[in-house]
Amino acid sequence: MPVKFDYLLRETTSNLGRNVTITLASIMTVAVSLALVGASLMLRSGVENATQRWQGGIEFVVFLRIDANQQQIDSLRNDLEQSPEVSKVLFVDQQQAYSEFKTLFADSPEFIDSVTVNDIPPSFRVEPINKDVDAVESLGLTYEGRSGVDQVVFASKTIRLIQQLSSRLTVGIFVIAAFLLGAAGLLILNTIRMAMFARRREIEVMKLVGATNWFIRIPFMLEGLVQGLVGAFLAIGALAAFKPFFQKWLPSADEIPLVGGFQVSGGEMTYIFITLGIVGIAIGAIGAGIAVSRFLDV
Amino acid sequence: MITLENVTKTYKNSTVALRDANVEIAKGEFVFLVGASGSGKSTFIRLLNKEETPEQGHIYVAGKDIGRLSGWKVPYLRRNIGCIFQDFKLLPTKTVFENVAFALEVIGRPRTVIDSQVPAILDLVGLGHKSDSFPTELSGGEQQRVSVARAFVNRPLILLADEPTGNLDPATSVGIMKLLDRINKTGTTVVMATHDRGIVDTMRRRVIEIDRGSIVRDQARGVYE
Repeated sequence: MPVKFDYLLRETTSNLGRNVTITLASIMTVAVSLALVGASLMLRSGVENATQRWQGGIEFVVFLRIDANQQQIDSLRNDLEQSPEVSKVLFVDQQQAYSEFKTLFADSPEFIDSVTVNDIPPSFRVEPINKDVDAVESLGLTYEGRSGVDQVVFASKTIRLIQQLSSRLTVGIFVIAAFLLGAAGLLILNTIRMAMFARRREIEVMKLVGATNWFIRIPFMLEGLVQGLVGAFLAIGALAAFKPFFQKWLPSADEIPLVGGFQVSGGEMTYIFITLGIVGIAIGAIGAGIAVSRFLDV
Repeated sequence: MITLENVTKTYKNSTVALRDANVEIAKGEFVFLVGASGSGKSTFIRLLNKEETPEQGHIYVAGKDIGRLSGWKVPYLRRNIGCIFQDFKLLPTKTVFENVAFALEVIGRPRTVIDSQVPAILDLVGLGHKSDSFPTELSGGEQQRVSVARAFVNRPLILLADEPTGNLDPATSVGIMKLLDRINKTGTTVVMATHDRGIVDTMRRRVIEIDRGSIVRDQARGVYE
């Protein structure tokens, strides 16, 4: 059976208009909770990007001289791979290092332009078997001063602290956001229940004259979806506006040595926004779905 | 058109609303259901519409066993059945035209059909000139005419009427009965529950009397008592 578009548009908008205050309350709750989710996803991306070279158990990085020749590189690689104290070695050539650099500073094109592939040194990222601070340091220092090596840099306590803090913060924000999303779902459920109560005469007549169940349900389902989606859009708008401040507010590369910039790339923002949109729609659909199946006796 | 076979309906508080009812109603018949309040007349009507489901027995409407009808098919059953009530059930925020159009709109009829059918049916019930009025601006008789128009606009096979004259004075009731009679003459089967002795005795149609859930009389060209 065709459900006409103009009918749906009219019914959905009149439903939304009927309970403006409670509709706004649900939309704002969705927006606030999704903004929190989005902010914590941004924080996580930022920290991941900033500490990219320190992920996966990497404890120190052997930076090579830019003019290191292939022989020196091969000999060093050989030594690292043969060493019984090293569990994993990752060679990052200039090209890879440059593309990593570009993602980190995606928002400062003039800075990227001022640096070329040849300005960025290749490096070995090393994961030792023994993660004890002293053992790592003594192992790393044996490579300092080798021919072709510029310097050895260790994962500092600061970096581990930042990673820990960010993952705990992310979990904390997610818990709060989950509660808020639950509240948003309940608010949407209630808004739609009220809309159904306000329209109980129409619903009764619709049932009598043989409107199908879905025909009766769809405007209410759409109402929930619209609330979730509008909330998601508000959250996305707020995060987009907030992003420049986010990056200024977090410490920059200069303030914490050995850490890249706290940057969230455009691609990551798109991913975050899509996630928020989907969660918003899901919350609206779940709230409306429960209301429709529990309180619309068709 | 309508067949009840050994139909029993008991409500949760163990009131027996209908006990072992056997009725056969042919296409185009006009049937009065009479009996005291609470005797089971409304239950009879609600069973035909599948607003209620019987515990025992079978109900056939237009050849289909509606007891076995799955939930999603019920709306399609109801498109063949028009209903009118004592309290009209009109939507106060819609005009006369919109109230009748609503019944076609929600079953997906196109605008062109609505724009041609609704004025025609409003003329039939004698309210063509009131199509832009709201229900509250109409008398009780006029409101019931709107509700008849809404029930009949989709040309159903069956018209169910639950005390349609219960809120109307005798003169107005006669008008409504004339309307139902006209609708019946188009071949529509009419089943009407009523308390109105005058109407039943004047019309002399088939009368089914229900007493505490049991059918105690089924009489062609019958009277109220």
